Amino acid sequence: MKIVVGIKQVPETTNVKINEKTKNIDRRGISGVINQYDRHALEAAFEIKAKTNAEVIVMTMGPDDFVVSLQEALALGADSAVLLSDRAFAGADTLATGYVLSEAIKKIGDVDLVLLGQQSVDADTGQMGPIISEFLDISQVTYASKLDVEEGGLRIKRYLENIEQDITAKLPVLVTVTDQANDPKYVNIVEIAKSFEKEVTTWHASDLNLDADRVGQAGSPSVVRSISSPKEVVKDNYKLPDNPQDAADELVKILKDKNILVEDK
Amino acid sequence: MEFLKENWIFAEVDLNKVNPITYQLITKMNQISELPVTVVLVEGSSESLEEDIKEYGPDKIITIKNDQLVQGNDLEMTNALDTLIEKTGRPNSFVFAATVVGRSLAPRLQARLRTGLTADCLDLHFEDDGTLVQTKPSYGDNIMCEIVVPNHRPQMATVRSNVFEAKKLNNPMTKVINITNLKVVQDKQLTISSKPLPQESAESITEANRIVAIGRGDKTEENLTNAKRLADKLHAVIGVTRPLTDLEEFDINDQIGQSGQSVSPDILINLGISGAVQYTAGISNAKTIVSANTDKDAPIFKHSDYYYVGNAEEFSKALEKALQ
Ligand SMILES: Cc1cc2nc3c(=O)[nH]c(=O)nc-3n(C[C@H](O)[C@H](O)[C@H](O)COP(=O)(O)OP(=O)(O)OC[C@H]3O[C@@H](n4cnc5c(N)ncnc54)[C@H](O)[C@@H]3O)c2cc1C
Ligand SMILES: Cc1cc2nc3c(=O)[nH]c(=O)nc-3n(C[C@H](O)[C@H](O)[C@H](O)COP(=O)(O)OP(=O)(O)OC[C@H]3O[C@@H](n4cnc5c(N)ncnc54)[C@H](O)[C@@H]3O)c2cc1C
Repeated sequence: MKIVVGIKQVPETTNVKINEKTKNIDRRGISGVINQYDRHALEAAFEIKAKTNAEVIVMTMGPDDFVVSLQEALALGADSAVLLSDRAFAGADTLATGYVLSEAIKKIGDVDLVLLGQQSVDADTGQMGPIISEFLDISQVTYASKLDVEEGGLRIKRYLENIEQDITAKLPVLVTVTDQANDPKYVNIVEIAKSFEKEVTTWHASDLNLDADRVGQAGSPSVVRSISSPKEVVKDNYKLPDNPQDAADELVKILKDKNILVEDK
Repeated sequence: MEFLKENWIFAEVDLNKVNPITYQLITKMNQISELPVTVVLVEGSSESLEEDIKEYGPDKIITIKNDQLVQGNDLEMTNALDTLIEKTGRPNSFVFAATVVGRSLAPRLQARLRTGLTADCLDLHFEDDGTLVQTKPSYGDNIMCEIVVPNHRPQMATVRSNVFEAKKLNNPMTKVINITNLKVVQDKQLTISSKPLPQESAESITEANRIVAIGRGDKTEENLTNAKRLADKLHAVIGVTRPLTDLEEFDINDQIGQSGQSVSPDILINLGISGAVQYTAGISNAKTIVSANTDKDAPIFKHSDYYYVGNAEEFSKALEKALQ
């Protein structure tokens, strides 16, 4: 079985601020890490590899410094890594990113399973999975909470808001993985250093069969018009007395006066 | 750019019931849209959920009655919506609920139609030329972006639950159009079997008016018993932070936050919760927030109308007594 895992490198903290001068997100001093959900996608791939001897290829589209995350994925147990990097890819929205990733997966060829995280923690869209499935013309299962390999495919548990689904999927299929699916392992620096023996392949736009109108900013229907800090909801921050009963009595009185607690309920 | 002068809403149906987010979207669209508002409803052949939807007064309801499609395969549904749009023309906009279903289906249709989609919107408005301005959070709600799709139709968005209020509206002009002859090719790759999740409380936290939320600072068995007693007294529903979903009795449906549920109660009481951004991302629509925490600098206090510095269990017991 051949598995491709897509990973994204994201800022280490989502606690980012807007630079007042540039009106852009200030990433100074914030280092990149593997998107948390992608660790679960990787772990899912490794668990399948342990059972079936699958080949695991890890892939990311992004600037050259994303190679750090690929190295870490190699250290964790991926067999090979592909970096998709080109000036032409810059400014891509989900549609244009999904297009490049799907073309790279086509180039790898004979891929049975594509695993992604349920969403990135920076842009938060979760759109990559369905978009890549569509461009590869394969079925999709998003938000998998449990994955098991079985004869001819996968067995997946998935939760909607009020519904539990039990899904059997034949290969090829694309699955996006939640943080409920497994407990990812971590590696230490020594193991990461050892992984440098494994090579990261870089593909540029010219290595792929791409329609120039569909990549990067030019291929992106979405335009980010502005970014801003959220309106702070101003809360009263009223400190209740230190004695618990005094605090409770005062709170109940306030809530009743403000009609927030109505007696009858 | 040729397109159909309508704004569309995809009706989310769970277990033969319209998800309330659909009504919220209809009310919002009716308020902001100059163009007719159309709801696309896919339902089982013996259902008539259009009657429920009518009460919120959209201009048009397109119903597709099909027992295969309601199984919930994203590929089959994408094919059906694509076929529908081929017949009608591309609408100006098409919005979905930012639920698991909406967040899976909408991007697949986006890719089929090669247009733009904004995820998880918190606000929407139209400009005079029909441009849909979509406001969405990123970086776990630390940044707000305004996104537009200037040159492609439909302009697509998924919208979070409970950010808009649903209001019934009497619209005698609502037209219902039945599409009966839509061909659906079955996706043989997937077999999906669905069953309703056991509802622990009659009310889910996303719809609750009162919530008692518990965190790692209030998680012993005795703490929990006390918190539940307080919840009973208040007629509130219990919610939890993510670490508590490790306990047998709680799961993602009880979890508040970025990777759990967004809530919008009239009152939320936080017991032993620190206030990580991933948690507070889910409580921004709570009207009154009360928090108890031993740490006088707990970040949750900034998000609170009233706060108590001290032991959460003692506070919870005292509150129970004060409510006698
Ligand atoms: C603040 C902000 C808001 C944005 N909002 C939107 C928006 O609403 N609509 C839109 O179309 N674009 C949006 N974008 C652009 C979008 O973030 C990029 O296109 C991005 O490369 C992919 O989207 P995502 O991070 O949301 O991925 P998601 O779809 O959330 O990621 C799901 C999974 O796909 C895989 N994956 C994601 N990115 C890569 C990658 N580069 N390489 C390999 N695997 C990957 C990972 O496994 C990941 O877990 C936004 C960007 C920013 C910075
Ligand atoms: C990708 C990602 C997604 C996430 N999504 C979510 C999410 O959706 N929801 C979520 O909740 N978390 C989420 N998290 C986890 C989040 O970052 C925090 O770890 C979590 O919210 C902390 O939960 P807590 O407040 O219960 O625990 P802690 O942060 O450990 O806080 C416990 C608090 O209790 C106080 N305390 C201790 N003893 C007492 C006492 N006797 N009385 C009163 N107070 C006491 C302490 O002072 C402390 O402030 C996510 C994390 C990641 C990385």
